[in-house]
Amino acid sequence: MNDGQIDGYARALFEVARAEGTLDEVEDELFRFARSYESSDELRNALTDDAIPPSKRQAIVEDLLGGKATPSTVQLISMVVGSGRSGDLPAIIDRMVERAAGAKDLAVAEVRTAVALTDDQQGRLRAALANATGKAVSLKTVVDPSVLGGIRATVGDTVIDGSVRTHLDQLKSRL
Amino acid sequence: MKLFSGMLVATEEGVEATESHHWLWPEGYEIAFGGIASIIIFALLFWKVGPLVKKAMAARTQRVQDELDTAAADQSAADAEAQQILAAKGDIGAERSRLLADADTRAEALVVEGRARLDQEIAELHAKADADMAAVMNRGSDELRAEIARLASEAAEQLVTGGLDEAAHQDLIESFIQRVGASS
Repeated sequence: MNDGQIDGYARALFEVARAEGTLDEVEDELFRFARSYESSDELRNALTDDAIPPSKRQAIVEDLLGGKATPSTVQLISMVVGSGRSGDLPAIIDRMVERAAGAKDLAVAEVRTAVALTDDQQGRLRAALANATGKAVSLKTVVDPSVLGGIRATVGDTVIDGSVRTHLDQLKSRL
Repeated sequence: MKLFSGMLVATEEGVEATESHHWLWPEGYEIAFGGIASIIIFALLFWKVGPLVKKAMAARTQRVQDELDTAAADQSAADAEAQQILAAKGDIGAERSRLLADADTRAEALVVEGRARLDQEIAELHAKADADMAAVMNRGSDELRAEIARLASEAAEQLVTGGLDEAAHQDLIESFIQRVGASS
């Protein structure tokens, strides 16, 4: 899919969520689903397998998210999967999240940690990242055990890496 | 013998024998007639047979001279041929010497070339062996270093992850927030 098509789908998701008044919640759920999609080979294979009919793939999404996400989120993901664009789901969702943050004049800050951050930590981290980047940020946290410890924050093209994984990789590289 | 036998027979048969005045010398008239007859015979011989003899002798002399000339010519031809053979022999000897010298030169060149090639091949084999040995040593060293690094990194990871309890996680998060907040 080219950049224009991705942008088109992202705009459609954004407009639907905004029209339904669930933009913040849908944006957050879509972001989490995109990260799960990236980290799960099984889910990715199931949703991109051409041998499985689109209706079956949509049923998989509904079974997976039913009761765990808002109906808007499930419908939007199901729409993308039904149109055969499952492979581009992370890119579409990331573009949609950027658009949503941009609408609020915010920059998206993707934060990966090994353990979940408390609300207080998220607030202080948001302020710290805004102070460091000079932009108000919309914090998107992802619990990613592969970072081992610490935090890895990405704001646009800026990466602030304080993860144990990166330190270990640097140590391994030096060795 | 017959004369003596005849004299004996005549004596025995009573025939009258005549005696000369000397038992050795003939009679004078016999000498005179004999001498004249001899002179006549010799003159006739000199007159009639002499030219024939002289002609025959001249012919014989000429024949001998011809044979001598032919022999001399043959000898000259033989000498010339011998010279040619000797010259040819000399040429053959020179050619043989040249061929031998050429063969020696080529053999020497082949030996030198072969020795040089052999030296070069030996040098190349030495160089290749040295390179192989160095490569093996480097590979072994690299593999050893990589293995040590792998083991060290695994040990470090196990040490770090084993020591990451909840308090450590919170310390890392707080440290990150403070560090990022302090930077601007």
